Amino acid sequence: MVSRLILLTLSTALATGALADEAPIKIGIPVGLSGANSVVAPSVVQSAELAVEEINAAGGVLGRKLELEIADDASGAAGAQKAFDALVFQKEVNAIITMETSAARNAGLPIISKGDIPYIYTSFYEGRSCNPNLFVNAWVPEQQVPPVVDHFMKSEKAKKFFLVGSDYAFGRGMLQFSRAYIEKAGGEVVGEEYLPMEGTDWTAIISKLKSSGAEALITSTAGGSPNVTLTKQLRGAGVTLPYGNLAVDEGTAKSMGADAAGIFISASYVTSIDSQANKDFLAAMGKKFAGELRTPNDLSVPQYEGVYLYKAAVEKAGSTDTKAVLAALAEVSYTGPRGTVTMNKQHHAPLTMYLGQVQEDGSVKIAGTFENVDPGEQCPGL
Amino acid sequence: MILLLDIVTTAAILFVVASGLLAIFGVLKIINFAHGAWLTLGGYCAVVTTALGLDPWTALPLAFVAGALLGAITEMVIVRPLYRRPLDAILATWGLGIIIGQLITLWFGRDVQFTPNLLSGTVDIFGASYSIYRLFTIAAALIIGCAFAFLLEGTRLGLSTRAVIMNETLARALGIDVARVRLITFMIGTGLTGLAGVLLTPLTSVDPNMGVGWLIGAFMLVMVAGSSFAALAFACLVFGGAQVLVSTFVSPILGGITVAVLCALVLRVSPKGFSRG
Amino acid sequence: MAERRSSFNIRAWLLAGLAVLALLLVLFGPMFLDRFTLNVLTRSMIYAMLAITVDLLWGFTGVLTFGQAAFFGIGAYAAAMILTHMGASPALIALAFALAIIVPMLVGLVVGWLSFSYKATPLYATVISLVLPIVTTQVVFSGGQWTGSSSGLVGYGTLPFGLVGFFRLAGICLLVLTVAAWFFVRSDAGKLLVAIRDNEARCAYLGLNPQRLKIALTTVLAGVAGLAGFLFANSSGVVAPEITGFVFGTELVIWTALGGRGTIIGPVMGTIGIDYLSANLSGELPFLWNLVIGTLFVAMIILLPNGLAALVAKFLPAKGGAGAMRLTNLAAAGAQLTAPKEEALLSVKDLGKTYGSLKVLEGLDFDIRPGELVSLVGPNGAGKTSLMRCLSDGTEISSGTVRISGQEINGRTPNEIVALGVGRKFQVASVFESLTVADCLRLSLAARHRPSLVTRESDLALPAAALDILRLTGIDRMLERPVADLSHGLKQSLELAMVVALEPRLILLDEPTAGLTKTERTTIGGILQKLTRELGIAAIVVEHDLDFVRTISSRVVVLHQGRLVLDGTVEVVANSELVKTIYSGGAHG
Repeated sequence: MVSRLILLTLSTALATGALADEAPIKIGIPVGLSGANSVVAPSVVQSAELAVEEINAAGGVLGRKLELEIADDASGAAGAQKAFDALVFQKEVNAIITMETSAARNAGLPIISKGDIPYIYTSFYEGRSCNPNLFVNAWVPEQQVPPVVDHFMKSEKAKKFFLVGSDYAFGRGMLQFSRAYIEKAGGEVVGEEYLPMEGTDWTAIISKLKSSGAEALITSTAGGSPNVTLTKQLRGAGVTLPYGNLAVDEGTAKSMGADAAGIFISASYVTSIDSQANKDFLAAMGKKFAGELRTPNDLSVPQYEGVYLYKAAVEKAGSTDTKAVLAALAEVSYTGPRGTVTMNKQHHAPLTMYLGQVQEDGSVKIAGTFENVDPGEQCPGL
Repeated sequence: MILLLDIVTTAAILFVVASGLLAIFGVLKIINFAHGAWLTLGGYCAVVTTALGLDPWTALPLAFVAGALLGAITEMVIVRPLYRRPLDAILATWGLGIIIGQLITLWFGRDVQFTPNLLSGTVDIFGASYSIYRLFTIAAALIIGCAFAFLLEGTRLGLSTRAVIMNETLARALGIDVARVRLITFMIGTGLTGLAGVLLTPLTSVDPNMGVGWLIGAFMLVMVAGSSFAALAFACLVFGGAQVLVSTFVSPILGGITVAVLCALVLRVSPKGFSRG
Repeated sequence: MAERRSSFNIRAWLLAGLAVLALLLVLFGPMFLDRFTLNVLTRSMIYAMLAITVDLLWGFTGVLTFGQAAFFGIGAYAAAMILTHMGASPALIALAFALAIIVPMLVGLVVGWLSFSYKATPLYATVISLVLPIVTTQVVFSGGQWTGSSSGLVGYGTLPFGLVGFFRLAGICLLVLTVAAWFFVRSDAGKLLVAIRDNEARCAYLGLNPQRLKIALTTVLAGVAGLAGFLFANSSGVVAPEITGFVFGTELVIWTALGGRGTIIGPVMGTIGIDYLSANLSGELPFLWNLVIGTLFVAMIILLPNGLAALVAKFLPAKGGAGAMRLTNLAAAGAQLTAPKEEALLSVKDLGKTYGSLKVLEGLDFDIRPGELVSLVGPNGAGKTSLMRCLSDGTEISSGTVRISGQEINGRTPNEIVALGVGRKFQVASVFESLTVADCLRLSLAARHRPSLVTRESDLALPAAALDILRLTGIDRMLERPVADLSHGLKQSLELAMVVALEPRLILLDEPTAGLTKTERTTIGGILQKLTRELGIAAIVVEHDLDFVRTISSRVVVLHQGRLVLDGTVEVVANSELVKTIYSGGAHG
């Protein structure tokens, strides 16, 4: 990649007063400002900025201000290496908190280990990424798939499922788990098909789906473009089966217009969560970013909470010392828009999952709430 | 039966996407590697018409005009100095594709854009429901094919163009304004590609990279087709058909690379592709 | 040796200085460069190795390739997969190293074989180079556990070098490769690359096999790319699908183009510069940075096709002569002298050539013996050039047989026929415009005397007949001149000398005197007579100038509408009514 490492320092902490003499705590955010993740990245940055602003306004962490260092990882491994390198060794950040592609996360992990700092990963992913310095506060397949499958089996009386995905680690990981879960629950998988990530023509798969006798459809594509392409072609072909989409977010659903209506999603965050914490969060986001606001989503909210979890861990540890912070990260919790989150299950977090259904106007209506869904055995070694 | 429809509609879509590239390659012997950018441009014309509250179909003429205008500038500034360096022309147009892509990104952002469907719903055909829009693409491909046939066979411009295709030096000696023929051809090719971009919007997401995925396939088909639209139609049917068959009976993943691999093999066996057949 | 040393000019000293500077930087850089810079530079230098391979293929040989990324990725993945799935013991690291080079080379061999067949267009290699990364990336994605799919492989054991160690390793590898490539492209063998880019057909008609050379080059450079991949997999500790992809392949080409294709140093500087800058300076907006790179790239391709290096080179002292090139006499192979004159050297039986339904040649029968100088005459469109083509390229023959010294040539490619002792001179002088006269002449010997991969010989040993031509025309005093500077007539003579240097037994000349002055014509005529009478070479000359034909020929063959209408001595043909009718009725000139 022509690298697009960018380092824009958003010094929200233009220090005034007493806090000025203590060096700020730096949080590094390598994120896909370009490449596949560039659609969602701005919302992630925004929520991190809000968290930092709130924390600094309330006196910082251990009397020190928080400061963000943002770098573009170009949504890929090579870019992530540059970004992690710059953040860990040039900017010397105290921790990395970010959502990234799995390739970018994997590329960054060796650098995290070398630099020995905490890394809070805030993106849902296919699971089983284990590193002593890595904590995850977003969902894994074990948490996301069951609500959709259970709902289809109970409410829609579906027994036969058809699975469609993009051919990459996340797509395959999700559907592999889905298949196992469906079969365990007494259902049947009548088809499982993948298309390359750059693939644009789902014709053959859709025709197979239509002739398979499936009663429900579960898809797990790469986010954004492939998802939209698949959904448009599904709707064009008149597919009206119960449709669970494991990769759609509210923003993407909006850009699909009427085509997205009726899609079931399963997430740890939807904007319509009816809690005071969520309402306050949305109000604060709206106030801070106004016209520039990117709709908060299941990737940006864990980012917001990740900053708070790190704050809690540093306060518990009493310093930014890596060893102490890592020990604390496994214990502290934070109650935010998604409810109370603690990363105490092998560096992963039990989460409240929401089953949502996309409405005509692109909004998501909550059709079911599943509390404290366990991430399962992610990293037995940790 | 559905399989047959899948094959024909897939071929039709490929034909629509590749015809603009073929028009340019056939006459100018230049590969426009910014082809994907023009498809994207067409897609964003649909976004603009939607934002302006116009009927979605008005995006078609808009995209044709926008594509052709941009094509005119491109031909004069970038392509004209490179007729004698065809490989460099590939690179320069690829660079242009990057530029257009980045400009679109800077203007519209990276997000997937909303565009309304041109035609929605399905129709019952041979006892199964089938997408109306996919059927419509057959008509679109036929219209484009016939329009080209008419342009080439029935107009003065077409006559000049055929002369340029056959023997450029001779055409010049006969007083044909070769530069003008090239400019107009390039404009038609790029205009058509913009239009194809609009036609793709109901099938694919509209984002700054929407065209790139179609580039290689279109490029391969044009390589095989040479300079003949009939050969292109044939190539689309054969390779589109192969793609559908492989996707259906073997694996959609292999299906995704079928066109590229098969075209490469055909060209190995017969360097001129289908252009003689 | 002393002579060779003196042949180094100021440029060479400049570059040597640069190399020493680079070596010092590589060795002592880690003392003052920060960690981030070291890391970025390590990667940039590995990419620069790839840029050299792109430059050798595209800049020098003219094969535009997007596929080097795929070989790089294959090498990196081969290493990473061994290290991940088998372990990283010294023995396994050695295995990973070997496979990282061998696997890409095998793939390169297949790709080369696919890309470069006789009559494949230059665009076809580019087509294949596009398909390769697409297929490779897809294989990686579908590889599941084995390749790590989209997430790539990470966390495997590597060479135990650490940051500074990898920086130095990458630096030294790059330096070695740069110097090797620099010597190679300046060596006699390296001129072959430019020769192929300039004029592939002429290469084949010098008895060289351009396809095989390109396949060999592709294979070797795939191995080099694989080596870079091995370094990358070790120094970064991660491999991901994007390093195999087509987009990365295009970036390599962009870096090479911006640095300056065909210069070795340019692409190295370009790659390191752009990759390093983009890691540091790209500033606020990644899209804007890409826009700048894209715009620069387009402007560069159109306005400055040879890149920044060409611009810099303008300000350097001009290329000096590489020392005196000494012409010496190559001991004649002598084979043609011993050939019995009675036996037919060339035997044509019922030869036919068709283009679609158009018959260009039909039912030709004739023999040519050593020492004969046969003029081939006939009006335009009679099939003279088609006949020459069929005699020198067996794939052109549609029906009948052609034998050279008893061996059937049907289906054989030009270089194989050259090996049988046939030399062909084209109507329009077919030489290598970007090379010097001496380089052109040396290439005529390349098929028989394997040229050096490292050095440039200062002795040029040519057969006496070729030397005669050079002396008669005065070209012997212009050995270091670029061919592009020669006059039309001198290019014709040079080509003739090149063909004669092949020591052919049969020489085919297509209008050797077209556009020449009277004196030049006489010179050429004299040379031809000498070749045939004294050396026993047989010659077929296509000629319009009947006066010229009359003075030089021992025999005349008349073609009309693809058929042989007359075959006899000069007198017989000159007095033939038939010939007069044909020429008066046929198109003139």
